Amino acid sequence: MRSKPPTTLASALHRIGLNKLLLHMILIVVSTVTAAPYFWALSTSLKLRRDVFTPVPQWIPSNPTFQNYLDLFYMAPFGLFLLNTIIVVSGILIVQLVTAPLAAYVFSRLRFPGSGFLFGLFLVQMMMPIHAVVVPNYLTMNALGLLDTRLAMMLPFWASGYAVFLLRQAFRQVPRDFEDAAVIDGCSGLRFLWHVLLPLAKPTVIAFSLISVVTHWNDFLWPLIVTDSPAVRTLTIGLAMFVQQESGADWPVLMAGTVFVTLPLLVLFLVYQRRFIESFMFAGLKG
Amino acid sequence: MRTAKGNLSPYLYLIPSLVFLVAFTYYPIFSSVYISLHEWNLFTREPVFIGLENYAILFGDTLFWRVARNTLVYVVGTIPLTMVMALVMAILLNERLGWMRNVYRVAAFYPTMIPMAAAAMLWVWLLNPGIGLINHYLMQLGLPRIEWLYNMDWALPAIMLTAIWKNFGYFMLIYLAGLQNMPGELYEAADLEGANFFQKVRHITLPLLAPTTVFVVVVGIITSFNVFDLVHLMTQGGPGNRTNVIVYYIYQNAFRFSDYGMGSALTVVFVVMILIVILVLMRFLERRTHYEV
Repeated sequence: MRSKPPTTLASALHRIGLNKLLLHMILIVVSTVTAAPYFWALSTSLKLRRDVFTPVPQWIPSNPTFQNYLDLFYMAPFGLFLLNTIIVVSGILIVQLVTAPLAAYVFSRLRFPGSGFLFGLFLVQMMMPIHAVVVPNYLTMNALGLLDTRLAMMLPFWASGYAVFLLRQAFRQVPRDFEDAAVIDGCSGLRFLWHVLLPLAKPTVIAFSLISVVTHWNDFLWPLIVTDSPAVRTLTIGLAMFVQQESGADWPVLMAGTVFVTLPLLVLFLVYQRRFIESFMFAGLKG
Repeated sequence: MRTAKGNLSPYLYLIPSLVFLVAFTYYPIFSSVYISLHEWNLFTREPVFIGLENYAILFGDTLFWRVARNTLVYVVGTIPLTMVMALVMAILLNERLGWMRNVYRVAAFYPTMIPMAAAAMLWVWLLNPGIGLINHYLMQLGLPRIEWLYNMDWALPAIMLTAIWKNFGYFMLIYLAGLQNMPGELYEAADLEGANFFQKVRHITLPLLAPTTVFVVVVGIITSFNVFDLVHLMTQGGPGNRTNVIVYYIYQNAFRFSDYGMGSALTVVFVVMILIVILVLMRFLERRTHYEV
């Protein structure tokens, strides 16, 4: 729902002698500045090493080459890092999509002794970052013998207060009558949740899923602490280790690595731009 | 709301979530309190009870206060700038701009989609003292070259700049969502009164965005307290601990020096800080909501 204020910034600027052109100019400058860092990395990753040190920066490589990407794959197993990332990210999301609807269903539909307190536990977790408790969680993983496994990277995220919170809001929008009708048809509890509530909450499910994927694709501290060998490392950790290993500052290859780590999500984002932007807006508002 | 008396089923639905919630959020809080009362490092085979000694050492250490200061400077420095940029961009982007609007939105928002670790690398390259782009353009403008991440005074601001670039697009989107829910009638009334653009921003837009702003501040504070990736990849806390922040300091103690006792004491201090922030903000949010409704 949007209604436009009749006097826009453009017309206000017009009144003081400026116009929409100025607005576009400001936005073009800002956009250029924010886009430049990535564009520069992309450009660097396609350069010969000698073209990096030119006295005038080459925004467009004069001798474009993909060699740096080939070198990257030769120097570190980035394909494996990508695979590990996909496994960890989907492993987290799939379990979250089981645990969260169950909890959200109960909180949205039933009142029972302790429900307020229990929901509070979820709310606090939503705001309590994993960063705060990495030390004890590391010791737990150590005690469970799970260090250096992909499972260790997923476990702490299998309960998501944020998902429960978002889904509870969505389930509450579903009118009471729906449930009464469903109960009469002999569809209650789990089946009602699966066949009625979840399909109706689809926008929330998609929004949360996208946010979960982006968040965990980008995870860093936790995977850094619990992994030790390249076999289980994810892209972000792979990149960090690669940076340390390549301290000789081979910038074209380092930038090729950086671009490779970001590329899958950025391509998805550009293709499904509207969906991503709406999801982040929507989930932010609800949060 | 249906009430379920003497029925166990609601709890059954909660068990899958509660297992992980307890194991990885609540148990850790209590276990770190317990471990923090022990000496437990490379030289002790097993945790040895020492009472509050870890805390005494911690609070007596000037480095801890340096770290606390850095974290505070980072939080207080990044949030207002991020918010102002996000708000101004959102107000500008809420105008009729045609198809270009999408381009601007993507340009501002794409940093949200990339890992902090990647953002760190992009800026390490831009901020390179010798051949970095930023110093190149500074010198073209006749300004002195800056050693950025190697300079005691510039390293933290450089990291803050990276964080602002990375985060403002997300908050811009939240503000845009807030702006799109504005009631048109108020603006129409203001137009009838002959209010100009800036008066309307001041008296209608900003007050109505207050709840959005509270949300932005909450998320902003919590994410900035957790800054780690940027520090780890850009400076490793240096030079001279000028960019060492609380989470990095925890990491150093627990995983570089294998001092779990001290790492846990720091964890406790950090969790208490975060809980205070959460409680204060929840109070604030509650009052807001009542006021709104």
